[in-house]
Amino acid sequence: MPKVYILREACKGVVDCDICRFVCPKDVLGKSDMLNRKGYFPPEVVDEDACTQCGNCMVYCPDMAIVVEMRKAKKAAR
Amino acid sequence: MSSVEHPLRKYLRPSVEATTFCPGCGDGTVLTSILQAIDELGMTMDDFVFVSGIGCAAWIISPNFNADVLHTTHGRPIAFATGIKLNLPEKKVMVVSGDGDLTAIGGNHLIHAARRNIEMVVICANNGIYGMTGGQVAPTTPREARTITTPYGSLENTFDISRMVQASGASFVARWTTYQPRQLTKSIKKAIQKKGFAFIEVISQCPVQFGAKTGAGSAVEMLEMYRKSSISVKKAVEMSPQEIEDKIVTGEFIDTAKPELCEEIARLKERIRGEG
Repeated sequence: MPKVYILREACKGVVDCDICRFVCPKDVLGKSDMLNRKGYFPPEVVDEDACTQCGNCMVYCPDMAIVVEMRKAKKAAR
Repeated sequence: MSSVEHPLRKYLRPSVEATTFCPGCGDGTVLTSILQAIDELGMTMDDFVFVSGIGCAAWIISPNFNADVLHTTHGRPIAFATGIKLNLPEKKVMVVSGDGDLTAIGGNHLIHAARRNIEMVVICANNGIYGMTGGQVAPTTPREARTITTPYGSLENTFDISRMVQASGASFVARWTTYQPRQLTKSIKKAIQKKGFAFIEVISQCPVQFGAKTGAGSAVEMLEMYRKSSISVKKAVEMSPQEIEDKIVTGEFIDTAKPELCEEIARLKERIRGEG
């Protein structure tokens, strides 16, 4: 199960926005080479193992384009 | 397409694909914080009536929230909200608008709603400029900032909205930046539960107008500036006015209990009926 999902079509791009990569303490996210339908480059997960599921990217994202599987939810699922 | 859905997506209208904000706009973070607060309180959208005015920040709720939403004339959301609250006192009324709407054109409504201490939540996304109309100087623009109507720098002093609302008599006043969305969510939760006028000012980045015109830079550069220059209320008390000048004082300024207008009216009705 991946920890970080990028909802590509909701994103407004790392070129103009880039807030997710700024607030990530572990540099989990990089830039995707594929445009979305609106013509923005969304981020992509490059280093998933480094992710601590702090949820910063999900909380700060202005476009609700990132979903992080939070640690508490994972425990409850087990 | 992935089948994963954002946990707060259920509060938005199904027809909404994306917000209308520019890339990097702080208003989206305010939107998420409001929804997060409602979600954490376990409330539904039916408990609320949302009111917004005109401007970028008014678009936070108007086409997006799947609730009763009133998109009103410029500067008048608090006047509409007062009417709604007096007629539907069991509903929570929330006003979300920008600094130009609430303080520039609608300044008197804000002052007098705070003075009356009517129960409502007012969230003011303060980007320090008239963003929607192209970057003109606003009452909240910092001194000496260059905008398209002040090409040599603004000569006017900046409006300290939170202090003004506090002086007008509000029960709850807080100020946060978009760099502190978790603290903002906590304050919105407190404000929703507050019996009285609750005001939250959110310093929000506008990279397209404010950032480009005043040289503040991109969304990330502005967030970095908020991180460096925001200080807490407790710290600010110990500092001199000169030291605070360039800082953003954040935190909860006031949280008190005062007689609330709707309750006072209900009490008055009871008293008059009893006597008559």
